[in-house]
Amino acid sequence: MIMHRRKKSARIRRAATVAATAGTLIALPAQAFAMHISEGILPASWAVLWYAVAIPFVALGLRELQRRSEELLYFKPLVGLVGAAVFIISCMPIPVPTAGTCSHPCGTGLAAILIGPGLTVVVASIALTLQALFLAHGGLTTLGANIVSMGVAGAYVGYGAYWIIRRLGLPWVMAAFLAGLLSDWATYAMTSVSLAAALHGGGSFSAMFSLILIAFVPTQLPLGIFEGILCVGALKFVRSRKPELLRMAAGGAA
Amino acid sequence: MFDLFSDIFTYRDNALTRIDPRVKLVVAFAALIAVVTAEMVILPLFVLGICLATVAALRIPAKLVVARLAAPLSIVAVLVVIQTFVTGTTPLFTVTLAGWQFTAKAEGLRQGTLLGAHVLGAVSVVFLLSVVTPAHRIFQALRWFKISRNWLEVAILMYRYIFVLMDRVADLAAAQKLRLGYTARGRAMRSFTTLAGATIIHSLEQSQRTHDAMRLRGYRGTMPFGPLPAVSGRDRRILALCLIAIAAARLLEWGVSG
Repeated sequence: MIMHRRKKSARIRRAATVAATAGTLIALPAQAFAMHISEGILPASWAVLWYAVAIPFVALGLRELQRRSEELLYFKPLVGLVGAAVFIISCMPIPVPTAGTCSHPCGTGLAAILIGPGLTVVVASIALTLQALFLAHGGLTTLGANIVSMGVAGAYVGYGAYWIIRRLGLPWVMAAFLAGLLSDWATYAMTSVSLAAALHGGGSFSAMFSLILIAFVPTQLPLGIFEGILCVGALKFVRSRKPELLRMAAGGAA
Repeated sequence: MFDLFSDIFTYRDNALTRIDPRVKLVVAFAALIAVVTAEMVILPLFVLGICLATVAALRIPAKLVVARLAAPLSIVAVLVVIQTFVTGTTPLFTVTLAGWQFTAKAEGLRQGTLLGAHVLGAVSVVFLLSVVTPAHRIFQALRWFKISRNWLEVAILMYRYIFVLMDRVADLAAAQKLRLGYTARGRAMRSFTTLAGATIIHSLEQSQRTHDAMRLRGYRGTMPFGPLPAVSGRDRRILALCLIAIAAARLLEWGVSG
């Protein structure tokens, strides 16, 4: 009986701590830049590990870039320009009413639909480097972890959702919406994993993971839905006005 | 956000902008390693102090410094709170909030403060690097360090056209606002997605024009990277001095903490 009460009180204490910390995060008036793990947060060992995970995906993307740009000479400028467009879209501030802050979309789902997941990883790695150097978003030591969460998880989950839904013969609107939504949520889930793995210390990984994930929920739940709508709206606009450009972006494959 | 992006300060002529970009990259990398592996707050805060003093000496506007450090500072605040109340066993003080009791722990506060110092120290190093080295010089130095040519070519194109597209997007957004495109929530959503779609169309059309212009200038699939001159004797001495100072500071900190 006493054990049961102790367990219950520990659970209540943990829930209260989670709620208080989530409250603190929400109460902070700054823009929600939580998408990128800031410079210096990860210990050196974790920073190296995430680099090791990210590098093969970037190398894979670069190999694809090399192959496709040998076939189509315009491909490298195209990837650079699509990257610039996605970078700008991902910097557009969106008010998040549930959190009372501003946030911004990832844009990786949209990029993955346009140029494929492999090249999206390359574009994301460049965007993250530029943001770390010139905007103090993310960091050079945390670049590997940020590439894995935003580039790899965001791009492959988004593209995977799009591909599966299209294969099932369902409408492209649904596919694009889910690509945007899931790429955003996958990015945040992966960011939570990276942070929890590095910061849980002697405590429980799952407790730290849920704490960080809960802290992200007020902004990321609505933002993911918004990113889905953005994906559909932007693609609908391009499809209705210049559908041939989408075929060009896909390297003549679409 | 794009007001912060300007690398206009890197084109000023001063002692730091004249240093070879390869030297600056190596020193920044060494400083980052020293900060991230520090076991006490002294070294990261010392690095932060040096970087901020240098930035002040270079007359970088305080507004830009504050804007650049705002996001990392908010992250530091969150980290200190999380670590203080979640990690550790030795109670420090208890806060009662809406009937709930939260106990801060000494170990958590120490860990959170150290983490915060890491973030501030590391961010200040990268900030200093970014206000004394133009992007194209960084890309040139990265090529010298054998970073993939394809990656750098796309990076150069992205960096160049972010600003071109940004101007067009700003014009489109202003036109949408003038036509009351953001007055209601539903309309704002439609305007925003239209803006995103228009940005993609602009980027794809611009890529065709850029490719045509590149072909006219002899582009055959790879962009030339101008060779960097050999690092001067003065820059070599600066590099050696900085690396010795960083290593000495790290070893000193190691001795104190160990």
